[in-house]
Amino acid sequence: MASIESTDIRKIIVACDAGMGSSVMLASQLRKQLKGLGIEVEHTPVNSIPADADVVVCHSGLADRARKTAPGTVLIPFTIFIGDPAVTKLVTTIKNGGTVHA
Amino acid sequence: MPDTAPLPLDPRAVLLDASAADRDNAIRQCGRALVAVGAVEEPYVETMIERERSISTYVGEGVAIPHGTLAAKEAVHHDAVCVLRFPGGVDWGGERVTVCVGIAARGDGHVRLLAELAQILLDPDRVHALREATRVEEVVHLLQPTKEETT
Repeated sequence: MASIESTDIRKIIVACDAGMGSSVMLASQLRKQLKGLGIEVEHTPVNSIPADADVVVCHSGLADRARKTAPGTVLIPFTIFIGDPAVTKLVTTIKNGGTVHA
Repeated sequence: MPDTAPLPLDPRAVLLDASAADRDNAIRQCGRALVAVGAVEEPYVETMIERERSISTYVGEGVAIPHGTLAAKEAVHHDAVCVLRFPGGVDWGGERVTVCVGIAARGDGHVRLLAELAQILLDPDRVHALREATRVEEVVHLLQPTKEETT
């Protein structure tokens, strides 16, 4: 079970199948919410998650594929595009400090 | 009014009063709108349906954002979105969709627009405006990215 301290998070990747739809929307939201914290948020297709990703956020239906591309990286699966509890929790943990678990 | 780069939303790709028997049909109409403005090649359309079958692009508030697969990026000429409204609603795997924002992208030209859409979805007044706008220009204006949206 991967985990990471919130203060060690520098890059969050939002992954989706083609990297052109849902990941774009969610990444824009996260960028807004994490503004000023020095964390980079990028969107990519699930099969090209960069190696320096600290946390990967992706739709639960893509979680298995994301795990293959980024084994060992903390993975946050979500089901709702806007306002998913898992994503909210990630943002809260980053803001308040703590450990993010996969 | 347009202050930055032009948006990839061609007014000709905005339909306020479409109707579709089912989800696949609604997606095909979105695909056709993208073909009509020269954004994608015909084969892209079927990949939009294929993509939807793997994971729904429903994003909440009666809005879905159908788009093709990664493999179909070659069939995309330029970044573009279309907006099709289905006032009668379309059954979207149990959800009721009244607004489809179809996407074709090979770059990041549509990113600001989707960011704006995400903001709209968080604002009940603007969601209402998106559903009820009576003129194409209003829809285009609504999706116009606002102020400090930096990339």
